[in-house]
Parts: sequence; C-alpha cells; structure tokens
Amino acid sequence: MTAYLIRRLFQMVIVTVLSAMLGYSLLYLAPGGPLLFLQQMQNTGRNRVSEEDIARLKARYELDLYLPVRFTRWLAGFPSGPLQVGGLNLLPPDTVVGCAIPGQVRLRYPDGTVEIREEGCERVVTLADLESRRSSRGILFGDFGLSQQIARDRPISDLLMSRLPYTLWLMGVSTLLAILIGVPIGIYSAVRQYSRFDYAMTTITFVGSSLPTLFMGVMAILIFSVLAKDAGLPYLPSGGAQAVRDYTIPWIGRVEAGSLLDRFLRFIMPVSVLTFFNIAGWSRFVRASMLEVLRQDYVRTARAKGVQERLVITKHALRNALIPFVTLLAGVLPTLVAGAAITESVFNWPGMGRLLVDALGRSDYTVAMAILFISTVLVLIGYLISDILYTVVDPRIRLT
Amino acid sequence: MATTTSAIPEAAERTPRRSEGQWVVVFRRFRRHRLAMLSLGILIVIFSASILAPWIAPFPRDDIGLNRTNLPPLSVDPANGKLHILGTDHLGRDFFTRVIYAARVSLMVALSVTMLVAIVGSLLGLLAGFFGGWTDNVISRVMEFVATIPDLPILLILSSIMIQNADLIVLPSWIIGPVAWMMAVPNREATQVALLILVLASLGWVGIARLMRGMVLQVREMQYIESARSLGGSNVWVLGRHVFPNAFPPLIVAFTLGLNAALVSEVAISFLGFGVQDPTPTWGNMMGFATSYMFNHPWMPLIPGLPIFLCSLAFNFIGDGLRDALDPRMKL
Repeated sequence: MTAYLIRRLFQMVIVTVLSAMLGYSLLYLAPGGPLLFLQQMQNTGRNRVSEEDIARLKARYELDLYLPVRFTRWLAGFPSGPLQVGGLNLLPPDTVVGCAIPGQVRLRYPDGTVEIREEGCERVVTLADLESRRSSRGILFGDFGLSQQIARDRPISDLLMSRLPYTLWLMGVSTLLAILIGVPIGIYSAVRQYSRFDYAMTTITFVGSSLPTLFMGVMAILIFSVLAKDAGLPYLPSGGAQAVRDYTIPWIGRVEAGSLLDRFLRFIMPVSVLTFFNIAGWSRFVRASMLEVLRQDYVRTARAKGVQERLVITKHALRNALIPFVTLLAGVLPTLVAGAAITESVFNWPGMGRLLVDALGRSDYTVAMAILFISTVLVLIGYLISDILYTVVDPRIRLT
Repeated sequence: MATTTSAIPEAAERTPRRSEGQWVVVFRRFRRHRLAMLSLGILIVIFSASILAPWIAPFPRDDIGLNRTNLPPLSVDPANGKLHILGTDHLGRDFFTRVIYAARVSLMVALSVTMLVAIVGSLLGLLAGFFGGWTDNVISRVMEFVATIPDLPILLILSSIMIQNADLIVLPSWIIGPVAWMMAVPNREATQVALLILVLASLGWVGIARLMRGMVLQVREMQYIESARSLGGSNVWVLGRHVFPNAFPPLIVAFTLGLNAALVSEVAISFLGFGVQDPTPTWGNMMGFATSYMFNHPWMPLIPGLPIFLCSLAFNFIGDGLRDALDPRMKL
C-alpha cells in the first residue's frame, strides 16, 4: 500500500507538471497581454514611450526573462536569485536569465527603405537583478501571481478565495440534493423494475440529463422570473447572489437586499437546475448497481432463509450496491471548482466558473490558468481518493 | 452477381426471418423504440431545413433593418408588408432565416467534430488495442493525460484564445473551402468555425478511443481472429475485415451521443461568447443575444432554445434506442 501510494504520488506530480506546462504554453501563445497596448501607443508616434518604460513594464510582468526561466519561476518560484550552497556558487549572480532591452539593428536596403530588426541584447537581466523583484512562490505552492485585468494587481488567490464559497455552496447543495433524491429513486426503480414508477422515473431523469443546463437555466428564468413577474405572481429574482436594492415580491412582501431571504430566493433556481441535471446520473447508477446485486446468490439465500424483504433490500443488497458509489463521490471533487461555468453564467452567479468566463472575456489568462490548474489537481486527487476508498469499502480489492 | 442482389429483397419478403442482414435486424428492433423513431423524424426535418437553408430562407441572412427590430413572431414588416414568421431580432434580422442558417452551422459543426473524433479516436483505439506493447502504452498515457484535464475549462480557454485571434491564424484553403461550403457561410467567416471544430475535436477523441480499445481487447481474443490469422491474414486485413466490424456496434451509440455532446459544447461556447461570433448565426450565439433581451421580449430565447432542446433530446433518445437495438441480450 505504501509503495503504491508513493508511486501514485510520483505519477501525480509528473502529470501536474505536464499539465502546468501545457497551461503555460497556452498562456505564452495567448496574445494580448499588458504590452500590446504600449506597443500600439508607441507605434502611433504621438506618445513617446521610452525603451526604459518598456523594460520596466516587462520586468513587472517578467516578460524580460527567457521562457524556461519564466516557466520555472511561475511553476515553483525558482530561481529567485543567486544560489549558494556552502560557499559553492551553484548559480553565480551574473548568470544571464533574460534580456531587458533587445538590441536593434538598422537594416538599410538598397532601395532606401530602413527596417529596424531586433537582434541580440543590449541589456541583459542577471540573477542578481531577480533578487529585488517580487518573487512568486510558484503555482505548485499555491501562489498564482497577480491578476492583470479582472482585479488589477490583486493576488489571484484572493480573487479565487472570494469566489470559492459561492461555487462550493452551489455545487455542494445541488450535489447533496441530487444524491438525496437520486439514490432513493434508483433503489426503488431497481426493486420495482419495469413497474410504472420505474418507467416514469427513468424517463424523467433521462430527459433531465439530456437537456443542456444552458437551456434549462434560460427556461427557468423565463418561466419563474420573467413570465411570473409579468403575470403578477410571486417570482424568483434572477441574476447574482444578492440584490443591490430592496424589492417587493407579491404574496411574500418586501425583500431586503442581501438578507437571508434574498439570498435564498436567488439560490433556488441555479441549485434546482443543477440538481435536476445531476439526479439522473446518480439514480441510473444506483439502479444498475442494485439490479446487479439483487441477482446475486446471497440475496437469494437471504430471501430463502426468510429474511424480511425490507431487510434484504437495505442490509444485503443496498450495502453492496453502494460500494461503487463512493468512487463516484470522488469524481464530484473537480466539478466543485469550475464544473458549473455555464449555469453560473446563465444565473450570473459569482462563482469560480463565472470567474473563468469573465477572465477569458477580458483576456486575463493568468486567472484562467490558475482555475484550470486547480481543477486538474483536484481531478488527480479525486482519482487517488476513489482508488483508496475502493480498498476501504471493498476488502476484495487490494492496491499493488 | 447483379441477379443475386436483385433477388435478395424478394426472397426477404417471402421468408422475412432468414436472409436478413444484421443491420436490417437492428433497424427492425430500433423501430420499436417509439420515442427514438419520433426523434429521428424531428431530426430529419431539422436537418433538411438546415441543408435547404439557402433556398427556403425568406430573407437574406444578415439583412439588417433598424425600423423593424424585436418584432414578435407572425408580425408583418410595416414598411414592405412582408411576413416574419418568427419575428425579428435586435437588429431587425429575420429570426426564421437566421435560425435555419444557425441550424446549418450548429449541426454541421457537431457532425464534423463527431466525424473527426470518430475517425481519429477509433483509429488510435484500434491501434492501441490490437498491437498492445509500446503503441498501447504511449496512446494510453496520452489518453489518460487528456482525460485528466477538466473538459469545460480547457475548452473555454482554447476556444477563447483561438477565436480572439482568428484573424491572425491562416488555415489552408482545403480546410476553409469545405467548411465554408458545409456551413453555408462566406469564406472569411469559415476560419472561426474551423478553429472551433478543431478545438472541440482535439479533446473529444479520448472517449471513442477508450471505447474502441476496450472492444478490440475483447475481440482480439476471439477464436475467429485466431482463425483469420492462421489463414495467413495480414494485420491490415485482420483489423479491417474482422476486428473493426466486430468492435463497431458500440461505436454507433457513442457516435450519436457524441453528436449531442458536440452540439451542446458548441452552443455553450458560442453562448458565452468564445465561439462563433455574431454575423455568423449559431444557436449558441443567438441564445446569447436572446437572453439579454428576454426580459422585454420573453419569446426570444424560445426561438433558438427549442431547436437546441429538440435536437439534444432527439440525439439522446436515438442513442438510447440504438443501444437497445444493438444489444442482443435485450428483448424488445
């Protein structure tokens, strides 16, 4: 088991670094960025932006460093300066790690036109220069750097933390509800296989899982917010997690902005849509698993020796049917972060998924990468947890 | 040869149970699934409308008219007395025209993504499952890695990066041409659609490849494969003639559900604004605009919404029907 865990952790680190590399190369390829605007200003010729200004800004966003150095600094905060181990200069202070001002070569063509080409380096960046800079601890250690657009120069981790509770609430409650509703439906459908209840529930949950959350969300707003309000009926407010100013709802009365009631009313629709969408997954899974177990010999034995049907179902069948269930639970983990980007966008819910969409809309790719990275790590942790849980709940399975 | 083929249908009519091919049986079983048959009918209607879009559209696609914005369905343009069956959008463009052109884009994107995914995925799965060894190892590791990355975030990131730079990316004309023709869009609008297809396909192949690999691993151990080999069959022959056809049926179900997944992804990405951009209509970006006008014009989201709803449900029902029809243990 220990050997297995060590091997798995090792694999996880490799995959994490790989996905970080993938993310970073996307980040590198992504256009826009803080310098684009400056270059455009310089090109118009009206504002003089000196080489020094550009160098200073480049240094601020670390754009003057060579790509591998930038990557390792982003990943693990290394190198943050000269490295000395016991008097031995492993990385001497004058190691070149980047180029602050590129050298320029004037090319004069025979036809008289002049082209300025960047070639070589006029002023280099050395490790000694890095010491004075704000050093990120690296995303592997939870430091995602600064946001560039969404919240200027605020640490991304702050931004994520301010959004996380909303997503956790939304996903947590809807997952819990989906399980609480879906599992009993699944059990009952399996026990009464091919009954009217089974057919009805299978169809309803099938439709629920077939409909895109986008469609369900928009329809929910249309029916419960727009049409209900137009008809003078009590309606559910849509958009955001809380209101800006007080409002009145027929039959309920005045709702104070930001009060518990206000938050609850705004919570209902997104949670219901996600729940309805997810019920099918759980109920279908439990139904299949129960049907499998109910065919087993030990269930027949239990019935043969006269155990009450209720006990057969709950004690003998259900317990065994739920074994694979725990592994599904671990699969929920990554969806807690950015799993509901669409639902959150439809309902303007200020969670992580919405943050991702906002960040992409404003080309703030560092924020987007942070979210991608966190969800990838959560997927890996989810896999690991589910594998370990398997051995805990089912002693027949050993990890080697 | 010609006489035998023409004789088969007659023989089949006389003794229906004997000379039926596998697919005839499957279709007969499929026909019992009423919802699936209904879905098939709906899909055929929507598909034909999308293919005939350039001919049946009553107005030009981008015909802006600022004196006839946000007209409700079945209203008549006050200026020239022309009927707008589904009304007009915020720029006065005819909704019916746009929704069938959008069907063309949305459905064809889904179709081409699924085709690409099916070809690449089943080829890789076939190779991994059949040859095993390091081929399998490499392909499986890549599959594991791609499966680890959460779909939605990476899809959104990739497509937003691609679409925001669609002007800078130059695709070869042998991609642009067919895409523009399939989607019925001008060439300059085809780049973004092609990019979106590539993004969706680049992540979607893993599911199919996994399924194919699993099926091939099962089929590979069958005795008929052994006999095919002992007859001296080459790898290509055994793969193409024996392994692939026998590993194929579950793929059809995956293909149908893949169509749905691709459609829904395209709609979601375009809805959020990272997919196909405005003058080119898709159900997704139409939905995006419709939702911002829905508080004053509540019918608007229904216009792109209902086709999304119908297609999505139809793909799922057909997938379900096919699954039942292809499962020999299932009694219908």
